[in-house]
Amino acid sequence: MSMLWYVSRRVAWAVIATYLILSLTFGLLVVAPGDGQTAFAFKAATQGGNVDDAKETFDEITGRDEPMLTRYKNYMVNMATLEWGWSYTRNQPVLTAISEAYPYSLMYALPATLISIVLGYAIGLYSATHQYTLTDYFGTFTAFFGISIPNFWFGIMLILVFAVDLGWLPSYYQTGKGVWTLANAKQLILPIIVLSTGAIAGNMRYSRAEALEYVHADFVKTARAKGADDWRVLVRHIFRPALVPLMTILVADILGLLFAGAYITEVVFQIPGLGLLSYKAIVQQDTALVMATTLIPVFIAIVGNLLQDIAYTVLDPRIDYGGR
Amino acid sequence: MSDTAPLLSVRDLRVQFNTDEGVVRAVDGISFDVAPGETVCVVGESGSGKTVACESITKLIPMPPGEIAGGEVRFDGDDLTDASEKQLQSIRGDRIAHIFQDPQGALNPVYPVGAQIAEAVRLHSDVSKAAARDRAIDLLDRVGIPEATNRVDDYPHEFSGGMKQRVVIAMALAADPDLLIADEPTTALDVTIQSQILNLLRDLQDEFGMSIIFVTHNLGVVAEVADRVVVMYAGKVMETGSVHDVFERPSHPYTKSLLECLPGIGRSMEPIGGSLPDLTAPPEGCRFHPRCPHATADCRSGSHPELLEAASDHRAACVYYGPGYDVSAIRGDGEAETRATDGGRDDSHDSHGDSR
Repeated sequence: MSMLWYVSRRVAWAVIATYLILSLTFGLLVVAPGDGQTAFAFKAATQGGNVDDAKETFDEITGRDEPMLTRYKNYMVNMATLEWGWSYTRNQPVLTAISEAYPYSLMYALPATLISIVLGYAIGLYSATHQYTLTDYFGTFTAFFGISIPNFWFGIMLILVFAVDLGWLPSYYQTGKGVWTLANAKQLILPIIVLSTGAIAGNMRYSRAEALEYVHADFVKTARAKGADDWRVLVRHIFRPALVPLMTILVADILGLLFAGAYITEVVFQIPGLGLLSYKAIVQQDTALVMATTLIPVFIAIVGNLLQDIAYTVLDPRIDYGGR
Repeated sequence: MSDTAPLLSVRDLRVQFNTDEGVVRAVDGISFDVAPGETVCVVGESGSGKTVACESITKLIPMPPGEIAGGEVRFDGDDLTDASEKQLQSIRGDRIAHIFQDPQGALNPVYPVGAQIAEAVRLHSDVSKAAARDRAIDLLDRVGIPEATNRVDDYPHEFSGGMKQRVVIAMALAADPDLLIADEPTTALDVTIQSQILNLLRDLQDEFGMSIIFVTHNLGVVAEVADRVVVMYAGKVMETGSVHDVFERPSHPYTKSLLECLPGIGRSMEPIGGSLPDLTAPPEGCRFHPRCPHATADCRSGSHPELLEAASDHRAACVYYGPGYDVSAIRGDGEAETRATDGGRDDSHDSHGDSR
């Protein structure tokens, strides 16, 4: 079977999975109480409107008075055509709210991801090739530190030290400073540190463990016996085969950028990104917005699995895509 | 063989591993020479230090925990024990090549075989990728891979065990080495494949004229390929001499016992009682004395015996060759002669056909 056939089958499965998830979400929305109607009516009441009228209007807008099958069809069509609903708390379409918030998330998530991948893999590979040396122990200790400390606590501690006590950096994020300004860079430093410590630690542990599989492999000895230098051995004969399992994490990391809402980091630092948007939507019961901000990561997970499967077959010649 | 200057001369080489359980003296003062074009077999039980000795020549052993604690390895006049890593890298794969025991693991699973051979070519000569690839095809053809042009881009998992070992051999020959160190190259292979690989190595030696150090525990293989034999036990050389002398007149009780382990026709094989000593705390005196039927008080104290002349160009590390001993007590003369031709048989395990 050709690789094309394999990939198209995986894509078909991804589509089916997406369909099932959307249907399940529809079912949940139907049975869920407080699907926005109450919030809408409450808002109308506070503005002096009639509660019952508001509820009727809401039903009309959302099509809740239609038969179930029609509602299901409309829902699916809306989803497919990216009509993802209206955010009542923000008075704008859900997708507009998301696209406005996204750049703020990307501003800290992109550097944090790059740093965590590069540093994490570098430390991990170094530790693997220098197993049980002092530097390995130091790297391992740092990794456990990074994994163990909770982000919210670490974030608050950093704010206390660097913003409150030392006054070097701002304590929370302010919009309107321009993307490429020093002021913006300064207020991104702490969130990037908080987000990357844990991620560096994770990448470091994974890459160390995977590389260790190969550090003592016969083919690594063969490569050294051929006269390859340490760097060549490390990159071509240890890292390259280790990349196959590491791909899982790498793809997840990179895709994470597409929906990089780090809830806690954004809440602690008041960054108006996707995390804070989703957090507020949940607190304020903005159903359409909650749904969108949770569905996107689900789709990304599906695409991620698909990309991982494809990456495996590209990276590992032993994987046979015929049987599955 | 001894009248030409040796290509490789190992003198009093000591290699130790610093472990949590103590210092393991895996190779404890061994000496041997390899002349140009000669095949020297290093024989011994598992754990006798054969592999460590051979991988110490180009410092392939992991350091740390491994450490060359003393002695010298003269290769073409230069002492490799104090060569820099850079110098060693230019020697490895170029003048001294290695073949390892398990062809399954010796090839990197994510690269085509041709690329791995071409890598060895390009590491030591400044040629284009295309030229290296052509050379890889030549080498694959030379080691008997059918349709080498079509198979050069296949991955290791698409080859059988015997074919993989041929690929590994092709890789070792990439830079036309002076010395090939083959560490049990046939042990992991099917019996029928074993002899094919041995024949191949012999043909290649005739063609390329390199010296071979052949590590094995299989005396049958020794009888087939060796010019000279170095018998190792517990990190020491017990006996060394020409293959004919060692098989016809085994001079050390250990060698004798080893030969008695060979399954032969019309004779029961006799295993050696006991086991290898713990190398963190080797026994006083001769390393073999706890298992030796001829051990005397002299064997149990002091240091390991020196290699003593048993015959011309045939030496054994046994007190019986010193003054005041009667050699015939350990020789059992005449008995060994029937055994010289018994070899050539080894138990083998998993079998892979030597084809696609």
